[in-house]
Amino acid sequence: MSIVTDSWDDETVLAALREAQLAREAVPAEFIEAGKSAYAWHNIDAELAQLTYDSTRESAEALSVRAETAPIRALTFSSPHLTIELEVTPDSLIGQVAPAQPATVVVQPGTGAETAVPTDETGCFSIHPIPPATFRLLCRTDAGLEVLTRWITL
Amino acid sequence: MRDDPAVIALVARVGDGDQEAWDELIERFAPLVWSICVRYQLSRPDIDDVGQSVWLLLVEQIGNLREPAALPGWLATTTKRECLRVLRAARRHDHAGLPPEDQMAPETPDSMIEQEIIKAERDAALRAAFAELPPVCHELLSMLISDPAPAYAEVSVRLGMAIGSIGPTRARCLERLRRSPHLVTVLGGHAGAIEDEEPRGEHRD
Repeated sequence: MSIVTDSWDDETVLAALREAQLAREAVPAEFIEAGKSAYAWHNIDAELAQLTYDSTRESAEALSVRAETAPIRALTFSSPHLTIELEVTPDSLIGQVAPAQPATVVVQPGTGAETAVPTDETGCFSIHPIPPATFRLLCRTDAGLEVLTRWITL
Repeated sequence: MRDDPAVIALVARVGDGDQEAWDELIERFAPLVWSICVRYQLSRPDIDDVGQSVWLLLVEQIGNLREPAALPGWLATTTKRECLRVLRAARRHDHAGLPPEDQMAPETPDSMIEQEIIKAERDAALRAAFAELPPVCHELLSMLISDPAPAYAEVSVRLGMAIGSIGPTRARCLERLRRSPHLVTVLGGHAGAIEDEEPRGEHRD
């Protein structure tokens, strides 16, 4: 593959142009359309919760060396006003919002319909089954706060 | 290389909620994301999975990009990370119990990612420059880069152009392409190699 060369004569330009067109034609139209439709997620009006802890990241190196069974994965998402703790069990997601309070947790898949689960009085919830593809959680507390996690893929 | 004003303008418009700018951004960068997935030898469903994650992360993060011109690098790194995630997940799923070394995907060095970024940027700049050529140039060059390229006699018939003027038109069109402002960032620093005493367009931020 030629990167930028010092001699962009006619043949070089033509060959580079051919290569550029081929690279574009290699990408299926549906792949591009999926990218375009992702913009529907623009401008969500909620507080964003960043991933602040991921047990697999903490121990990724140790795991790849020792190849032992992964423990239950734990994730923490934190926004200025709310923390969402998640644990991934084999068949469901168990979570809790902190400070403990009643809320509704909405699972938003990248594509497809949303589902909502209520928490109990202490903010505990469970999501079953585990969302198969990329998703995020919108947590709406009864007090009126909305917090959205980053995209999650398990 | 990384401070393409076209990209900076697109990113700003995307921040303002401009779907068309977003579409343009996707058209421009989808080949980069795609080519990295191909380098990792992912299956088509896995590539779609990676693509979805990358675009969703981009929607979320694009407002926070401190340096919009660093977008190609951000996309490449994010794509690489998502490819590795998919490969790890597949490994856990299909080969539980086998030592991980035996299932590692071929080592994909950062230099490969860097190459893909450079190539994708160059390709995108060429396509942008090509798209702005006058129709006659567009048609002629399209024919000349098709595979197999038609003989001049056929080009002459299809374009209604005298055979004798195909060569000079081709040269003129390619010169226009080379002079496109889109290619300044690609050819920049190498302009001296081109016999051309005209100043290359300086790029503004």
